[in-house]
Amino acid sequence: MHDRFKYILLLSSLPLHPKSFITAKQTPVSRIQLDKRLALLSEDDATELGRIESILRWGKSADETDQSSVKANTQLLALIKHPLLQHIVGWRLELRTILSALRKRQAGINPTTADVFYGFGKWPELIKKNWHEKDFGMSHLIPWLPEANKLFEAGDSMELEKFMLNLVWQYYARLGNDHYFDFVAVAIYVLRWDLISRWSSYDRDEAKLRFDELVDAGLIDF
Amino acid sequence: MAELLIILGWIGLYAPMALGAIGSIIGCAVAGQAAIGAMLDTESGYGRYIGVSAMPSSQVIYGIVVMFTLNRPISADVAPGIFAIGVLAGLALMYSAIYQGQCCASAIHASKAKPEIFGLSIAPAAIVEGFAVFAFIFALVISGGIAQS
Repeated sequence: MHDRFKYILLLSSLPLHPKSFITAKQTPVSRIQLDKRLALLSEDDATELGRIESILRWGKSADETDQSSVKANTQLLALIKHPLLQHIVGWRLELRTILSALRKRQAGINPTTADVFYGFGKWPELIKKNWHEKDFGMSHLIPWLPEANKLFEAGDSMELEKFMLNLVWQYYARLGNDHYFDFVAVAIYVLRWDLISRWSSYDRDEAKLRFDELVDAGLIDF
Repeated sequence: MAELLIILGWIGLYAPMALGAIGSIIGCAVAGQAAIGAMLDTESGYGRYIGVSAMPSSQVIYGIVVMFTLNRPISADVAPGIFAIGVLAGLALMYSAIYQGQCCASAIHASKAKPEIFGLSIAPAAIVEGFAVFAFIFALVISGGIAQS
């Protein structure tokens, strides 16, 4: 069957995502059920999807540096065969690069002196060059940057997170418009599922507990 | 040359049936898979999903009727007409069945989440069916102009 209709059974068996992830209290389907449906993917496509999810998985291990993380993910990114999916993953990594630059600048790190700034795509050089400019001199290229920067400076982490996730959500929706039953549609479905999963798992009490754990762990070192 | 024309005539005679069947096979397979997928995700409405997925089967029936209408002793005089009408009608039926299957798949996928749009969602598939009927009817009309040898 034509690639455009390769995964018609799989996608028809999955519930649709809500229009906005913000109101979602839980994912439309559990991960166990999702994985059962994803068993319909061909071996190559399953590997490709696993690769995409592993790159975009949040967090990194303690012994991983920015340099090693960028290197490893750049290698993985090059292995993604589908150009549109490679573009999507690359875009997400560039977005994280920009956020990382904002955080580092707020933490007082200056890559033009001692530290080196690592990142993905075309932005790291420009960021380093314009480190002290509010928008890294890039707001004409990245329209969402001023708003993100404003929330960042206000210290409104929750709103910033919502803003960034919504940006990604809309981007996925826009790119997924031309894909109904092919592998790209499956990959975008899973990536949007990941976003809902991430958003719906936020828990204030859980976060407080985690924060206390981190503080306790930090105090042990002293 | 006469032999080539006769070969083309036989191709034209069987084309509406064969091409219509190919289209119906692909269309029903596409829509059928969507119906099966939808049944995995819903608790009711199974019958209508299967019903919609069978819509692209009409093209093969039109193809059979066109084939019987064109059926006559094949000679060099009638072969070009049979070839032209048969192949063109067959292609129209084939494409309409394939694309109707895609319309049906989308209708099933959409109405699964929003059952109230079920009726409207099959309108595109019905419109595609309308074009198949045009191709079918006018193949019958035009074939009346081919001599019976």
